[in-house]
Amino acid sequence: MREVVVAGVGVHKFGKFIDKSLKDLGRVALKNALDDAGLTAKDIQAAFFGNAYGGLITGQESVRGQTILLHSGISGIPVLNVENACASGSSAFREAWLSVACGLYDVALALGVEKLYCDNTPKTMAAIITSSDLEIVGDTGWSFPTWYALKARMYMREYGATQEHYAKVVVKNTKNGALNPHAQFHKPMTMEEVLESREVCYPLTLYMCSAIGDGAAAAVLCSKDIAQKLQKKPMVTVAASALTSATFQNDPKKPTAVGSTGYIAAKLAYEQAGVGPEDIDVIEIHDAFAPAELTAYEEIGLCGDGEGIRLIEEGKTEIGGEIPVNTSGGLASKGHPVGATGLAQIAEVVWQLRGEAGPRQIAGRNKRRGPVLGLTHNGGGTLEGDAAAMAVHILRRI
Amino acid sequence: MHIASSATDDNYLIGSKCQSCGAMAFPKRVICHKCLSDNVVEIPLSKRGKLASFVVAWAAPEGFQPPMMLGYIDLPEGVRVLSMVTGCEPSKDALKPGQEMELVFEELRTDQNRNNIVAFKFKPVTRRRES
Repeated sequence: MREVVVAGVGVHKFGKFIDKSLKDLGRVALKNALDDAGLTAKDIQAAFFGNAYGGLITGQESVRGQTILLHSGISGIPVLNVENACASGSSAFREAWLSVACGLYDVALALGVEKLYCDNTPKTMAAIITSSDLEIVGDTGWSFPTWYALKARMYMREYGATQEHYAKVVVKNTKNGALNPHAQFHKPMTMEEVLESREVCYPLTLYMCSAIGDGAAAAVLCSKDIAQKLQKKPMVTVAASALTSATFQNDPKKPTAVGSTGYIAAKLAYEQAGVGPEDIDVIEIHDAFAPAELTAYEEIGLCGDGEGIRLIEEGKTEIGGEIPVNTSGGLASKGHPVGATGLAQIAEVVWQLRGEAGPRQIAGRNKRRGPVLGLTHNGGGTLEGDAAAMAVHILRRI
Repeated sequence: MHIASSATDDNYLIGSKCQSCGAMAFPKRVICHKCLSDNVVEIPLSKRGKLASFVVAWAAPEGFQPPMMLGYIDLPEGVRVLSMVTGCEPSKDALKPGQEMELVFEELRTDQNRNNIVAFKFKPVTRRRES
């Protein structure tokens, strides 16, 4: 396996765009990523397209990647459609990385696009629920908020977390999101606003749930040889790419991060990169619902079971803290255009490592050197009370 | 799930037990999730268990009426079952984790061919008055 460089990243602003198609959204993210890399559509040798619900929302169930990429001038090359629910974007990124790392291609594209807003919330909700085992949960009235809430109540009971701790995650993330021009929402939320917003499924209030949204994000990956000819920017490489899936388990147990998909993917990623959680400068976490950010701290080894509470209480994961998490504003501010989410996390980490994050820029563990290592945590769907797909990536500035 | 077909029959949930390592599962599996043996048999599961966690959803998928309650029920066989919860007013304080729950079958809806779709639910066990 050879070293792979993330030569360019780009996004289409996240939001609700009723008048824009998957093609419109994808084209902007793609162009931004190509411009960032200093490459053109002709340079792309293989493309991996992440999208989850295009078929159910727009009717375009098949060949989604080919139709969207052809529209943007990319054709006549291998195009693979990647569907891994909310982890579709980072799964596409992983496939692009793999195709360059193994030497088959020199330049590959990962593009993630999603249109979830169709002014028909039941239709959107019905699409999202398909990211589970419908034979098991279909006739139970299950939905993602109920799953996160069931887990959150067990965590509260076991470790003493309160609704205020979850609200604090939203306060932190929306404060960061106010500084991110690509986010759907720019309003920093107060504790009161989060706690007093409508109850969706206790302990979840409305603002603890990531919003429906549209958007796109892309990354252009290439070999180091090619990157050296291109780059005037600090070079960011893929230090680790780990993907795993849920295992059979339904035995009663107290809530623990140990053995979860996030825990396993992070462990694999740290081993691959030869680093530990104490080396990471910046992290993007899959905060689809606020309680998940605290348990994700525990999954990726920032702390032990139940100690995520202390990290948020002490402000350790704020932009100025010891280990900033969700400097982009997370899903709380960006909303969650599923197929684009994982690639937008990658884009944020690349910007942070290059020192291009503007008012959101972090200093890094070594302030003189600046941030060197960034991690993304992106879960998709659910099976057996865990993420169906879980991707963890570590990027390194060299 | 097994729906009673006669007066002497009973409603129950069907789980599976691995004959090689003893691991239990619900829903039933054809392969053991612990040792991967395919020597797995169906077993009827207990109709009572303890509530591990529950929630009240104020938004529900199409075909369901909010507010509705869902919970995890831990059965003595060592399986955790996701289930609708019935038999009490939906409230975040309506039940207590650890509380005893029992299985009921209720009609959920009618499908396009006018077949009744029946679902399992769990309800809190209420103490019966001694006669």
